[in-house]
Amino acid sequence: MPARLTGHAGALRDAAFALPVVLLLAAMPLVTGAYLLHVLTITLYYVILAASWNLLAGYTGQFSLAQQSFAAVGAYGSGLLIKYFAFPLWASIPCGVVAAALLGWLLGRMVLRMHTIYLAIATWAFAETIHIVLTAAYQITRGELGLSVPALYSNVRPEAYYYTFLGLASASLLLMHLLIRSPLGYFMRAIRDDELRAESMGIDTTRVKVMVFTLSSAFAGLAGAFYAHYTIVLSPQMADFGEMAKLIIMVVVGGLGSFMGPLIGAPPVQIAMTYLARYGEWDMVIFALIVIVLMRTTIGGIVPLAGRAWSRLRPRRGTA
Amino acid sequence: MIFTWQLFAQTVIAGVSIGVLYALMALGITFIYSIVRMINWAMGEFYMIGSYLQYLLVVYLFGPGLWYVALPLSALAVFLIGTVIEPILIKPMFGAAIERKDDYATVVTIALLLLLRNLATGLAGPYQRTPGSNLPTIMLGPLPQSGARFAAFVCGLAAIALFYLLLKKTWFGMALRAAAQSRLGVQTAGVDVLRLDQAAFGIGVALAGIAGALLAPVFFVFPTDGIVTTVKGFEIIVIGGLGSIPGALVGGILLGLVESLGAAFISSPYQNVYGFLLVLLILVIRPSGLFGERARLA
Repeated sequence: MPARLTGHAGALRDAAFALPVVLLLAAMPLVTGAYLLHVLTITLYYVILAASWNLLAGYTGQFSLAQQSFAAVGAYGSGLLIKYFAFPLWASIPCGVVAAALLGWLLGRMVLRMHTIYLAIATWAFAETIHIVLTAAYQITRGELGLSVPALYSNVRPEAYYYTFLGLASASLLLMHLLIRSPLGYFMRAIRDDELRAESMGIDTTRVKVMVFTLSSAFAGLAGAFYAHYTIVLSPQMADFGEMAKLIIMVVVGGLGSFMGPLIGAPPVQIAMTYLARYGEWDMVIFALIVIVLMRTTIGGIVPLAGRAWSRLRPRRGTA
Repeated sequence: MIFTWQLFAQTVIAGVSIGVLYALMALGITFIYSIVRMINWAMGEFYMIGSYLQYLLVVYLFGPGLWYVALPLSALAVFLIGTVIEPILIKPMFGAAIERKDDYATVVTIALLLLLRNLATGLAGPYQRTPGSNLPTIMLGPLPQSGARFAAFVCGLAAIALFYLLLKKTWFGMALRAAAQSRLGVQTAGVDVLRLDQAAFGIGVALAGIAGALLAPVFFVFPTDGIVTTVKGFEIIVIGGLGSIPGALVGGILLGLVESLGAAFISSPYQNVYGFLLVLLILVIRPSGLFGERARLA
């Protein structure tokens, strides 16, 4: 049982690795300006989203394409409750998370019996449907006009938001890490590696997949709800497929199915996209070209490269 | 909403005719998948290229009267663009030892989607254009039909029929069907499977291009005009299953019917949601889809 092998020593090594990173990030406001801090805050949002998708696609092998929709559900869930039912923030955010988890559970129950390609297609159709509904139901969501929601804090100091997202990302990643190391985590990888075999060994694969899908949706909803109260104005753009494309590129660039993947992949992608934004619509053209050239030239290069670096960091775990 | 039989018949005709064009899209997706073994996520962008080419040819060269001359040219151009893109982006998937081919194909076609969509916005701007149509309204019995829609329906059916004949009646089609069964098999029979991939990718995206060109006068032409039709194409695949031409046609017509009836009799802003509800309904009552169990394991 590899779980026993890595036990306490593994947890200690992980902590020893994670702590300096978190401390370094916590010290960032001392050296950066307000704008870079804003970029980093947004990046942390994407780190949570990308990591939540990695749980699903990387660790369980379920290639869902609806992660951005659950972030949007969390965001709109919280925002709409405040607008129409005058919920306080501390209640609306958890409700947004629950809404995302519930919707994830429902969708998961319906689509997770299907296999890879069908799953991707069905979740994609779901994601586009959410986008269409958010735009079409403009009497409720205000559609493209944007839904105004209250800010998390009354002051506008960027540090406060930065630390909130840093805490959120650290807590989420810690929880995900615990999940991956739990028995459920081993079931997840067993399903990814060989679903039929996992099933024949007595794992209720559909149930495990639905659980992971629900949890992953909840993480996305959490990130989305906080993001809503940071950006203040919500638009259906949040549920656009471009967001999902960004997440996939982040995770795959960093390394699909490795814990560090989203953490390594998200910052360069987000920062590149932020600074390319000055070229108007040409930014995405440049970005897409960079991704294509990267994929073409390092074909099968980046991911195994990250994998090799990873196995050097974690020499005893062959399965991750 | 007042129910009349005339409105009902009108809606059914509209649903069936648009369904054929959705089926065209689904066929393109399923065809590329069955030969090249990858989902082309940039399908809607080839639809978009088709619609822009049709717009350019009609407005600057032929005029709306000669739309049927522009149509095969647009389709041919999309085919050629596909055959140029395939060796650059898709073919390497089979060359080097890539651990996860699906991931590579997904990332590359999603990057292609972003590239083409934003290139279109950069070049043509976000404006909604229309090539216009001077086709007269056609009377089917007592029911008037928009000429452009009817032409799209007829040409869509013709394109599907041509595609069917190509697959079933020619040697080339036989090689394609063989490749769909076993890539290794056709290789041992001496067929260059990589060239086959190139042709299949070209034909698949050309089907999307035809749909785009046909619907250019019906809907508007803009950089993201392919999204809605592509969603329909993917929904049809979930409904009908991958790899079946009759399945795509039946699924397409069913989807077209459900959404136009829903738009006419329930609420029109949610037109694009009914299709997804149909998908969910089918998933609940028949998790294996309408066309067989085996297909789900693809």
